[in-house]
Amino acid sequence: MSRPAPVSFTRLEEIAGGAYVVTDAAEISAREVCGARPAAVVCPTDAAQIAEILRFAAAEKLAVIPTGGCTKLGIGSPPARYDIALDLSRMNRVLAYDPQDLTLGVEPGVRIEDLLRTLAEKKQFLPLAVPFLDRATIGGIVAANSSSPLRHAYGAVRDFCLGMEFVTGEGAQAKSGGRVVKNVTGYDLHKLLIGSLGTLAVITRLNFRTFPMPQAQGSFVASFSLAEAAFDFCRAISHSVLTPQMVEIANPGTAALLFSGEISTRIEPRTWTVIVSAAGQPAVVDRHERELGRLAGAADAEEFFPLEAAEADSAFVQIREFPRLMIERVPAAAIFRISAVPGAMAALQGKLRVLAAQRELDFVSLARASGILYAAFLPQRDLSETHQALPGTIAEVFQVCRQSEIPASAMLEWCPTEIKTSPDVVWGTQRADFELMRRVKHSFDPQNILAPGRFAGGI
Amino acid sequence: MRPQLISELEALLGPKAVLSAPEDLMLYEYDGSVELGSPRCVVFPASAQDVAGIARLANRRETPIVGRGAGTGLSGGAIARSGGIVVAFSRMNRILEIDAANLRAVVQPGVVNLDLSRAVEHLGLYFAPDPSSQKSCTIGGNVSENSGGPHTLAYGVTSNHVTGLELVLPDGEMVRIGGKSIETSGYDLCGLLVGSEGTLALVTEITVRLMRKPEAVKTLLAVYETLDDTTESVVEITVRAITPAACEMLDGFTLRAVEDYVHAGFPKDCAAVLLIEVEGLIEAVEAQAAEISEVCRQHRAREVRAARNDQERNLLWRGRKEAFGAMGRISPMYYVQDGVIPRTRLPETLRRIEEISRKYDLQIGNIFHAGDGNLHPLILFDERDREQFARVVAAGGEIMRHCVEVGGALTGEHGIGMEKNELMPLIFTPDDLALMERVRAAFNPAGRLNPGKVLPMGKACGEIRVPPMPASATIPT
Repeated sequence: MSRPAPVSFTRLEEIAGGAYVVTDAAEISAREVCGARPAAVVCPTDAAQIAEILRFAAAEKLAVIPTGGCTKLGIGSPPARYDIALDLSRMNRVLAYDPQDLTLGVEPGVRIEDLLRTLAEKKQFLPLAVPFLDRATIGGIVAANSSSPLRHAYGAVRDFCLGMEFVTGEGAQAKSGGRVVKNVTGYDLHKLLIGSLGTLAVITRLNFRTFPMPQAQGSFVASFSLAEAAFDFCRAISHSVLTPQMVEIANPGTAALLFSGEISTRIEPRTWTVIVSAAGQPAVVDRHERELGRLAGAADAEEFFPLEAAEADSAFVQIREFPRLMIERVPAAAIFRISAVPGAMAALQGKLRVLAAQRELDFVSLARASGILYAAFLPQRDLSETHQALPGTIAEVFQVCRQSEIPASAMLEWCPTEIKTSPDVVWGTQRADFELMRRVKHSFDPQNILAPGRFAGGI
Repeated sequence: MRPQLISELEALLGPKAVLSAPEDLMLYEYDGSVELGSPRCVVFPASAQDVAGIARLANRRETPIVGRGAGTGLSGGAIARSGGIVVAFSRMNRILEIDAANLRAVVQPGVVNLDLSRAVEHLGLYFAPDPSSQKSCTIGGNVSENSGGPHTLAYGVTSNHVTGLELVLPDGEMVRIGGKSIETSGYDLCGLLVGSEGTLALVTEITVRLMRKPEAVKTLLAVYETLDDTTESVVEITVRAITPAACEMLDGFTLRAVEDYVHAGFPKDCAAVLLIEVEGLIEAVEAQAAEISEVCRQHRAREVRAARNDQERNLLWRGRKEAFGAMGRISPMYYVQDGVIPRTRLPETLRRIEEISRKYDLQIGNIFHAGDGNLHPLILFDERDREQFARVVAAGGEIMRHCVEVGGALTGEHGIGMEKNELMPLIFTPDDLALMERVRAAFNPAGRLNPGKVLPMGKACGEIRVPPMPASATIPT
């Protein structure tokens, strides 16, 4: 729990304007990070104001956490200090959109839903189908490196973000990358900011390449009684010439959560469910349907069928919102985000399921064939011993990932704050590269005022 | 001379793994750029432990170290600008693992780019970054420079294909970052290291993504009577959001040189051609090829034809990839530029390059990755004519400034190196550069790793350095 430092509101008011320094209890509590509350919320309107605020904060040793839609403030370890919430929601302009060049420059506070709507008018999009889509801002999505099922075809933010502008912990305005689609001019510092949870700099502009919307789309469901068969099917897809947009593998628990009767009466939620979507020319989608059906049959699928457009849309939303639905359903859930190679995924989720069973925890998982596994451990509401079992289980999960034949990289993305007794609970034990990360942090934020303690290794 | 350094290196690596005679060092004074610099010695480590030993020794003796792959780089990245030790990775050329199931390979830095693709060809896989020098350049060099190539239009540059690295820091410490999995929790250090031009660490092992070969490939050649029609076609392909795997442009001047050399069947009487490749499922390839042909014809292409077989296709690509070499037949020397512009600014930019060519009375050939706006104007010259060379450098600077003015960048894939480091202030403010310096210092505090690269050294900012004496005609890259 952080002790609010005596913040000089006068100076903040001079910089941002009196109306934009807020100490209202509701606003403060909306920006709580793992139990820590800021003394004030400041809403700057441009990079120059942010630079002044951060210079002031650095001089006064005040800790600052940038916020957007406040949907992912629970991610990371608890901050060691937290004095000012820097609310970027006023910085919500699209600064440059050149649909002909397929490039885009935006401020961090733009809500992703609004941005996707703007792009859709030009039949384009960003492949960021991320949780909390209705509230999340582009800055927050990038700072948390939110996972999107569309990564399978389009890559992650690091692959389509062309450059950024930002303000460092010393209040210096800086940038890296640029606005063109190919560029090796200088160090790619902006890549460091992706997933940095606001610990290096405050992002003030993001440049992306945009993508054309495909002509046609199709989504297909294959269900399997055995996990191995489901993963075999996915392996067969990856070894084929097919080019799907997403391949998601829901375990029976996840299928039950995501695909209840309202979504589709046809998805049988008790089985391992693989959802594949394809896009492109209609002939390409047809080809996928034929070949996926064949591969599903060869992998002993119980069923294989295409979804109607409305069903596909709903299923896509459910998949996109998986972590959010999970924590709404079970607030005490511990949800890991694990990156593993496809070949290790089946065995890994099997081991995690055993771990959960030993502690009488429920286990649900959603695997992205691109290499991301969401693994959620759910205490049973009425069994306090299952709640107490979580910390031990968490440590074991990191161990299992490290000891996997091909090591997987785990991070505890969501869990109750009271479990986060040290940064290792969230990030795993120290790794050799943490020291390099500390040095990187020091070069961006030498006074350690940006979200101190929120990141790996206690950064 | 400090023979002590040489004898210590010989003790560490064996006498055969250290070169220090002037006649041996001459081979390592240059790379594919027009820069020069003499190392004190060249060493050939066989393992990461050797590299760590070299780094510790260099650290103790306060001597610069510069990594070197095949020396095909085009911005002086592998040149020992401040002397010191060149660490040549040619002995560390083993493919350590091919993990076909997970689409990964683990390689030593000296593995030649094309050798990796050849080694996995029988599995239906390949390594996507394909610089024109891929027959000789190394993957370690690709990592350093974040290399591109024609097919990066669809598949991305080297950084999109690297998931893990083993590093040796300047003090000799070894650290692994990333791994085989697609992401690793913490800051994206691989994203920072790839493209850092050997100024942050020496890379001793690389984990890369492999890609599955597409089912179908179609290569189109569109022939034009005017440059404007050619560039307008590229803009229209981008605007229609067709994503070919590659979209290359060669102007008439370059074509004639290439055709005389390669005999690929390029027409010699046209203003320019586009070489466009589409890949994927048969259905996708057919539809895209049809749409691209339609765009080209609408923009008055006098002919659009498809390669009928692999042989024809390979010949067209050989013409593209050996174009720089073909230039060597008609000019003693050339200076290749690497600016990037927003793709919609292509027509005006090509017109601007024509003006610059006339203004400085220089022959400029254009052969480049049109689809992603990455220009490669080749300015021809004779290195014996110093006055002409000064004009070459001025013309290059003017092309760069134009790229920056229209919202572009200084380099798309060749790197900043020692060629453009003094131009960095055209793009970056003192604060931007100060932060980059601090990040460099986080890895390379004494600045002994590849000194004088990427970041500007002096106060005379904004100029391309005029090298004291250009290297003799370069090997085709």
